[in-house]
Amino acid sequence: MPPRLPTDRTKTDLGYEPDGRWRDVWVEVKPRTHSFRNVRASLLGMAYLLANEPGKRGLLVLANSRITEKRLKNELHLVERTLRPDVAQRLALVIEKDHGYVGIPDDLGEDFRAWLDALVRQETRDGKLRQSHYAVLQVLLHQWLLGKGPMTTDWIMKTIGCSYPTVASALRRLDHVLIRHSDRRVELRRFPSEDWARLVAMSDEARSTARFADRSGQKRSPEALLRRLMRLERADLAVGGVIGARHYHPDLDLAGTPRLDLSLHCPAKRVDWSFVERLDPALEKTERRDEPAALAVHLVRRKVPLFQPGEGGMQWADPVECLLDLHEAHLEAQAKELLHFFSGKRA
Amino acid sequence: MNFLSPRDVLKQVAAALPEECRGSVIIIGSLAAGYYYFGDDPESQVRTKDVDCMISPHIKAVPAGRIVAESLLEADWRLREDSEWGEPGAASTPTEKLPLVRLHPPDTKEWFIELMVSPASPADSGKNFIRLETRRGHFSLCSFGFLSLVEEEPILTEFGIAIARPEMMALANLLHHPSIAPESMSGLIEGRSIKRSNKDLGRVLALAYLATGQYEDALRDWPALWATALQNRFPETWPSLCECAGAGLRQLLASEADMEEAGLTSAFGLLATYNLTPRMLRIAGLRLIQDAIEPLEAMARQ
Repeated sequence: MPPRLPTDRTKTDLGYEPDGRWRDVWVEVKPRTHSFRNVRASLLGMAYLLANEPGKRGLLVLANSRITEKRLKNELHLVERTLRPDVAQRLALVIEKDHGYVGIPDDLGEDFRAWLDALVRQETRDGKLRQSHYAVLQVLLHQWLLGKGPMTTDWIMKTIGCSYPTVASALRRLDHVLIRHSDRRVELRRFPSEDWARLVAMSDEARSTARFADRSGQKRSPEALLRRLMRLERADLAVGGVIGARHYHPDLDLAGTPRLDLSLHCPAKRVDWSFVERLDPALEKTERRDEPAALAVHLVRRKVPLFQPGEGGMQWADPVECLLDLHEAHLEAQAKELLHFFSGKRA
Repeated sequence: MNFLSPRDVLKQVAAALPEECRGSVIIIGSLAAGYYYFGDDPESQVRTKDVDCMISPHIKAVPAGRIVAESLLEADWRLREDSEWGEPGAASTPTEKLPLVRLHPPDTKEWFIELMVSPASPADSGKNFIRLETRRGHFSLCSFGFLSLVEEEPILTEFGIAIARPEMMALANLLHHPSIAPESMSGLIEGRSIKRSNKDLGRVLALAYLATGQYEDALRDWPALWATALQNRFPETWPSLCECAGAGLRQLLASEADMEEAGLTSAFGLLATYNLTPRMLRIAGLRLIQDAIEPLEAMARQ
């Protein structure tokens, strides 16, 4: 479940970005914060945001914090005395401890808690390390599928936008499937089936996939959405899923196209979702997995998107994204076929 | 208002007209749209009471209108009962006091046809009346500012009379309502007084919905057709008309109360056999703005 973030200039001009949004609730997760100095900076940022957005609420979640419930209540009391009442009333402080939460407003139910769990996982150190690991794996796979040969650690760092220790740590974990060349370049020895299976299992979380359902009763076909996408001329969007897979492997065995999959490049936290409404005003984000999606958008967080240029201003998502899209759409046979196609090309 | 089969009504109107003037008649309004979008489906019907017949072109309106009116009266079509407008006028009656030609067929009073005419010139932007002298007395033919647009490439039906193109009816309605005016319709719908703008712009939404149902990218074809029609009919002013075509619709979409009225009239009329939610109708409007109105505005700016 992807975080929804401030999109317009007003929000970014505040110099503050929360980590996610659930309906009308902005949420910032502060992992391992034990002092109120840091908390207060976030509280002030959230207060600015809420002052700008009268209909919204804000939640500051302290994850793995040593701050006690009593101190939290005292801080909330200070907040209420200091901020404008209409802002203070919409602001809440929450402590996450032992997979539970203290201070969540009563009206936010189980759906919210499930979403918050995912956001906390994503924003905590373990979550970020896991994401970096999978980012490195995806880049290695990208080079392997396209037969691009070995790469330097520096190139991986620049492609993902992360530090040397992060890449080195991820490479150590993947040592069993790596070839380390004498010039320190690395490449995959073979397709890393087990690591891939783990990535597929948690790709929703790793890629922050958002699904959009039709509300018009006249669902637009993926091709119709695609025609409108081309008109937008957005450099941060690329076509993946079945259509992208067919770009790489035109003989993919699948009749029709069930939905449009897009990869959205957003290395910063901020996500600009405005394009969805331009693709079709009938699209609405859905959290229900049993509801057919007309559009799925997968966030690509690495620094270099690895999109391939197409015709008419269109771009193609990289083959790893396309493979993950097929898995996510439960098109397992097609994902397998695409993987065999690339493997066959390498052979 | 009653459920009517567009096909049956067109057939009956055409049969009552002399062959030589069938080519001068263009059916407009919900019946034309119904015939275009679901004329083949015996289950789909339109709920309406009036069948608008435009006599075209303007230059032939009076002679052709006379033949049409006299032929129908000869065939025992009756002037619609009306306490104020139920009798034809005389030569001495001022034109604006003459009744419109509103005739119902001999076998039913459930619906009636109304004869209309396109404006004499592009400068005639408002409502105008032309005297129509017949053997049965004097009537008037009514014209509206942008009605000439429905004369663009009308579609000839199997019955020898034509229907207006849906996209041209939509454009005429859009231009006729650059804002939501306070004036209400003369009659009630579901016992409620409804703003004329909301009814006509609601019709535009219904047409957009039906067009999309027929072909998902239909609305994307409209701006080019609209621009051509506007250039033909309003060569001096077409760019400014393109610019203001969406103003009323945007105002409608921004008002929940007006949208509710638009939805009510659509559900009660052209979309009577569809189960459309207010949200679906609203989406039809938003799609129309994106796919047709914004490109039309862009054409005017080029």
